[in-house]
Amino acid sequence: MEQPLAGIRAIEVGGTLAAAAATKTVSDFGADVVKVEPPGGASMRRLPPFPDDAPGLERGAFHVALDTGKRSVVLDVETPSGREVLARLGATADLVVLDAPPEAAERLLTALERCEPAPNTVVLTPHGLEEPLSGRVEDDLSLFAASSRMRHHSITGEEPLRYAPQAATVQWGATAAAAGIAAVWGRRQDGRARRIEVAGVDALLGNVDTWFLIWQFVGAEMPRQGGQSKLAYPAGGYRCADGYVTFAASNEPFFSRLCGGIGHPELTADPRFASPLVKAEHWADFMTYLGPWLESRTRDEVFTTLQAHGVMVAPILDVSEVVQDRQALARGSFVEVGTPEGGTATVAGPPFRLPEAWEARAAPRLGEHTVEVMDALGYSRSEQVALFRAGATG
Amino acid sequence: MTAELLAGIRVVEMTEVWAGPMAGSFLGDLGADVIKVESFPRNSMTRPLVAGLGAGEGEGPPYERSGIHHLSNRNKRNLTLNVRCESGAEALHRLLASADVFFEGYSAGTVERIGFGWDVLRARHPRLSYIAMPGWGAEGPYRGYVTLGSGLDSASGHTAVRGYPDRPMEDTPPIYHSDATGALTLVFAAITALLRREQTGEGSSVDLSQIEAMTWQLPGLFAEWTMNRRLPERLGNRDPHIVPHGCYRAAGGEAGPDDSWVVLAAEDDRQWAALASAAGNPEWAADGHPWATVPGRLGARDAIDGALREFAQSDTAEAIAERVQAAGAIAAPVIAPWSVLSDPQHAARQWLQTVEHPHAGVKVFAGFPWRIAPDASSWDRTCGLVGEHNAEVLGELGYSGPEIAALRQEGVIGEAYGEG
Repeated sequence: MEQPLAGIRAIEVGGTLAAAAATKTVSDFGADVVKVEPPGGASMRRLPPFPDDAPGLERGAFHVALDTGKRSVVLDVETPSGREVLARLGATADLVVLDAPPEAAERLLTALERCEPAPNTVVLTPHGLEEPLSGRVEDDLSLFAASSRMRHHSITGEEPLRYAPQAATVQWGATAAAAGIAAVWGRRQDGRARRIEVAGVDALLGNVDTWFLIWQFVGAEMPRQGGQSKLAYPAGGYRCADGYVTFAASNEPFFSRLCGGIGHPELTADPRFASPLVKAEHWADFMTYLGPWLESRTRDEVFTTLQAHGVMVAPILDVSEVVQDRQALARGSFVEVGTPEGGTATVAGPPFRLPEAWEARAAPRLGEHTVEVMDALGYSRSEQVALFRAGATG
Repeated sequence: MTAELLAGIRVVEMTEVWAGPMAGSFLGDLGADVIKVESFPRNSMTRPLVAGLGAGEGEGPPYERSGIHHLSNRNKRNLTLNVRCESGAEALHRLLASADVFFEGYSAGTVERIGFGWDVLRARHPRLSYIAMPGWGAEGPYRGYVTLGSGLDSASGHTAVRGYPDRPMEDTPPIYHSDATGALTLVFAAITALLRREQTGEGSSVDLSQIEAMTWQLPGLFAEWTMNRRLPERLGNRDPHIVPHGCYRAAGGEAGPDDSWVVLAAEDDRQWAALASAAGNPEWAADGHPWATVPGRLGARDAIDGALREFAQSDTAEAIAERVQAAGAIAAPVIAPWSVLSDPQHAARQWLQTVEHPHAGVKVFAGFPWRIAPDASSWDRTCGLVGEHNAEVLGELGYSGPEIAALRQEGVIGEAYGEG
């Protein structure tokens, strides 16, 4: 069976991490993704880590994992010649994802929207194309700060923290992927090409795991007291014999299930823990039951024992444990993929499973497919040499 | 004008909390007709029966005023249904017969036990696609396990690297990042299933593991181990290869006199020169200065952080960010919830959505994560009331007025929680 996105062509322009993240899933489910890179190579190729910390454009973890199955074309879209090639490419595409500063983005959009037929376009910018903030330069850290999500990831009065490096940026790209594939579907139905702007701040604030709306409803900021809530418990990280688990068992029915699971079903009816308001004063009392139970068991014992009681609890694992986790092994959550240098690397498997739908193929070497794509666009070899010599292609 | 990207597609959502409901709203934002089948008579987890559990001020039942619930339930219709009884199950089947996509977020095995497993669905509704989105996926040894996003964050390796470098794990705040990534993945999965149906003429079954939906988004974290057999450290806001890259306490600002912070970063020499000049010390970037080069800055992390701490203390977070950005380096204030309301960019783009709800009153919501032209997403429906569209949806399915009344009488549907 063909992959579900077979026959769809997407073009990725700009070489940024957000753009690469936007087209990763499109590629792995079978679309032809052409990665248009600037002459120096996509900036996301420079993101660490690298094998043995030896940097190189073909070796970076983000490139190896997120550019799977794409074709690489080097094109200087800052030149009229480069933009003309892009426009010809755009006329063959269902979707163009581009990440560029506002002025450059407008030039590219103008070129693409003149295509016959015009493709859907998705434009990635940190703040959108309008003043006053469109000219700002942001990275993963500052985007997260500007989205309001960083504030909640802190203890009151202490330094707010980002998430894992690049987590915010990749979520932004995944937002563009969702909108982009919807536009591809829409254009197949009604023939209309859409222009979609995905601003980084909008993507991060316009989703869940955010607290702006909750602040309005509750009339106050949510408490930022660290991991363990001593008011509504147990929630957050708790120590056991060999590490930590995370609970989300403060509300019913989970609290009662937990009490049963640790051998104290009578606590469910205990007046100290009976209502949320009273319970807030008795965290230390509750820990005289939960603490010793946890400390005499491993994370895995706590996890499996309490999950058997229907309690929301999970082990806090490091990445070496995650790749060996029995669920991950049983499902094949991590797979081997070829690398541009001819080796293999371990990367995450499909984000969702549909039979015969997902396949990760090796990421391309820089410019590996320039000639192939230029041939297919009808450029003569003589024109290709001329463009190459002028630095418009590579 | 409403977005029409998914016009004509009917989606049935049977999920709770954040990842699934947000996905339902996103599909509605894109033009699908989304019908949320809400638990009945048990109240949804995000709809508290009593005031004081996150319910906002307002009139009427607390479960209509929960911000956690409102956040992820726009642009869909609301049908309450007790699907565990025969007439409720029949109503769900009639609904699914009209639908293109059905997705649910209960622990793996739950819908099968109540008669809605894939074998049943594909036999009765051959063009329907079914997406299960349990935390750890539909198959595997953790089948049936329950979790929120905070648990998936922990089991994914993310929690272990997020906290304060110098504090115990007990102080790492729980987060729900996997709900955000899971919602986006569900949207992609639903459209992929539609594309597959174009190939085969049939619906398909999709196994969406929310932990896997997030894992692929953290390639750097995993590569530390799989590539170099190192465990990633807790870095806080530090970047091992970029100096400066941090968060500094400002002299007040919109986030408050004692809790205003500004992030500053300079990824290369050009941005460093911009930051140095904004800080009033252009000589930091002059040839010959020890901080002028990348290796020089890498070796002077503490001294540079000290200098920037001092700089950040010279003004408010907003003013510092403005000055540094004007010079051309990376900077942003750490935005507090109330600053979202006064953000000049949101105002210029008319991004925030002011919404009136019969019980929650007037609230300002974050806008859509995308802006589509020509057919833009629009806030056509605010968060549905419990059972708000029972009569409308059941009527469309061919139920007569007396039949709907009988379902209500039997407690199969209802428009209120916690009674009887």
